[in-house]
Amino acid sequence: MKSNLITEDKQKSKLEKAFEILKTMASKPSGLIGLTIVLFHVVLALISPYIAPYDYKAISPNTMLLAPSVEHWFGTDSLGRDVFTRTILGGRTALTVTFFGSLIALLWGGLLGIFCGLVGGKIDDVVMRVVDAFLSIPWILAMLLIVSLLGTSTEVLIPALGFFYGKGIVRVARAATHDVIAKDFIVSAKARGHSNMSIIWNEIIPNVRDAILVEGAMRWSWMLLGFSSLSFLGFGVSPPTPDWGLMISNARGLMSFAYWSVIAPIVGLSSLIIGINLTADAFAKALGIDRSTKAPV
Amino acid sequence: MKYILKVFSATFMSLILSFSIANASSGVFKVSHDLGFGKDTNLDAITKGRLFQVVIKTQNRLVRPDMNGVPSPSLSTDWSANSDATEWTFNLRKGIYFHDGSAFDAPDVKYSLMRAKDPDIGSPVRKSLSVVEDIDVIDQHTVKMKLSTSFADFPLLLTDYRLRMIPEGSGDTIGQTGVGTGPFMVDKFDPEGTTILKANPEYWEGAPGVAEVHVIAIPDAQARIQALLTGQIDMNRYVPFNQKKIFDSNSKFTTTVIPTGNWRGVVMRTDTAPFDNPKVRKAFRLAVDRQELVDLVMGGAATVSCDTPVMPSDQYRLQMDCPQNISKAKNLLREAGFPNGLELTVYPASLEPTWPTIAEVVQQQVAKAGIKVNIEMVPSKGYWNEVWMKKPVSMTRWNQRPADTILHEAYHSGAKWNESYFKNADFDKNLADARSELDFNKRKKAYQNAQMTLWEQSGTMIPYHVSRLVVTSSKVKNLDAVDHFSIQWHKVKVD
Repeated sequence: MKSNLITEDKQKSKLEKAFEILKTMASKPSGLIGLTIVLFHVVLALISPYIAPYDYKAISPNTMLLAPSVEHWFGTDSLGRDVFTRTILGGRTALTVTFFGSLIALLWGGLLGIFCGLVGGKIDDVVMRVVDAFLSIPWILAMLLIVSLLGTSTEVLIPALGFFYGKGIVRVARAATHDVIAKDFIVSAKARGHSNMSIIWNEIIPNVRDAILVEGAMRWSWMLLGFSSLSFLGFGVSPPTPDWGLMISNARGLMSFAYWSVIAPIVGLSSLIIGINLTADAFAKALGIDRSTKAPV
Repeated sequence: MKYILKVFSATFMSLILSFSIANASSGVFKVSHDLGFGKDTNLDAITKGRLFQVVIKTQNRLVRPDMNGVPSPSLSTDWSANSDATEWTFNLRKGIYFHDGSAFDAPDVKYSLMRAKDPDIGSPVRKSLSVVEDIDVIDQHTVKMKLSTSFADFPLLLTDYRLRMIPEGSGDTIGQTGVGTGPFMVDKFDPEGTTILKANPEYWEGAPGVAEVHVIAIPDAQARIQALLTGQIDMNRYVPFNQKKIFDSNSKFTTTVIPTGNWRGVVMRTDTAPFDNPKVRKAFRLAVDRQELVDLVMGGAATVSCDTPVMPSDQYRLQMDCPQNISKAKNLLREAGFPNGLELTVYPASLEPTWPTIAEVVQQQVAKAGIKVNIEMVPSKGYWNEVWMKKPVSMTRWNQRPADTILHEAYHSGAKWNESYFKNADFDKNLADARSELDFNKRKKAYQNAQMTLWEQSGTMIPYHVSRLVVTSSKVKNLDAVDHFSIQWHKVKVD
């Protein structure tokens, strides 16, 4: 009974802390705008399958390149498909792929960085040189190689994006770990004979978590841009899946006379990237992290 | 008097000068190519990687198609056949020189054509030229071609865009030099950058209208459109019809619509399961709504094809209707052992701007018959080496050819570019019968039987023959409104 009460207290304090952070983030106009945009996109992504007015795959020569109207709010594309339907569903694809990709990047990048920062020595040297080597490879070329070999399904794209965007997090997590590793409580834990895993889990993660989360949020917006770039080049998700990058790519040649087919996905993509960036900035400030001095290493 | 003489001399000199300037080659004509053959790109017209945007300007054929596609004189001035059309004599044009200074004569003709038959070279045109058994050099300006069978349409075969005349013995270097008798000479060959051609002032039809032609590698279709819009190139012959509006209202450009025998399609390898079953292939082809493809992809500017590669204007084309038939497609799939449908992956590249759209539309159409199509985009560079004839299902595009040539080249069991690995004895026999038949109606019947076999058995879905939207800068003058291979490039001028 007592332990239950303690757990509830802990949860309550965590919830309270999260609420405090959100409140701080929303107290600044930029943070409020960022949070609103991200929330809008997340909600839209969740409900879009239920509110989409048309079948996103339905092609028809009779409805090709119709200008915005009451029937088709954002007009139609060159195959007669409803642009509004494809735009709201396109956000769902982008958010899903990049959210899970960022999660993977955070997990492997964060844990590997912390581990290297803690153990140091030759293991740290070797791992960081390997990370350096990967960082020197242009990510777009490496991604193109991967999708050429393994295809462009989301099962391939999510882990591949997660891997490539996690490399930078390794360095940030390692640097953050170096900041705390010389502190007394770590030295004490080592003196008490705690294992590396125990030290990572109980001592380091709580102290570097905020820096890694902020970095992860920033990587999310970069990943969104990267994913859309892949789709723009034709190597993101496969047609007919609605996707902003793919929609922009298909409609770019029609921009001068059918602007509507390209504007909607551009607005969708830009607003989400701006929203995530503003939110990440506000998140960092709420946690007391100065991103101008804690820039990625 | 002195003054009058001075004025007269000055006027006379000015006239001569202006006349010379008016007739000299001037200006640069800039065009593009898609680098589809990647590192294999070369200037040997008979090889797979030939950069035809260059060789059609640097080398001539014996016989070329006129503006209506009829064989007309080029390096051969006239020709005649014996009574059963098994021997053809060609008289050659005199006083013609290659870019390297050597004279063009009969041994060059024998060398150029027999080389295309060399199995070691493995030219894609070898199959259609197999009818030529030997070439006799009668004298320096006459050759006699001995055929293995009667062939009333033989001159038509020689209009093939790859059968170019090159200097005797130049086979080892032609891939880099591109030497020929054409209106332009290769100055710098850079397949991945800009290839520069210079005007041949001694060209036998007269000096070219432009001093240089630049052939620039631009793999992406939309990048080629932008290159045209920004003046980096002066002509784009692959503009999608849905982008016509961009140029229609712009006085800087001229648009021309040219009906052609060029076609686009989806190829299933008939040697690979499940497409080794003719019922599966026909089910896929029946599930396609060709008119809808014409409307959606070409904006209506194309002629529906029932999987025949023979162009609409060809006298041997099989005329038939082939509306979408989903129930029959489903039945065929059931009979082939796929009652629940099947799944396949197709690999378009943006080197052909309509491929991704064709794939998307076909994906939706065949889904009604239970065929799930996955689309995986692949890089344009090297598409013809890495994807085409390699993957079980790929996208294809062909330029127009005479009926006999295209049927041999794309479907004969021994053809190098038999892209669907189609092997059918009846089909091969019909082609052989057609060639040896001197009676036009019987010959036509044989060619049409071959096309009917394709409709029943083929692995290639050909939805339409395209009309080509050619957009040029308005600075470009005298460009013939015909297909690529009939254009007389020396006439082109750039203001």
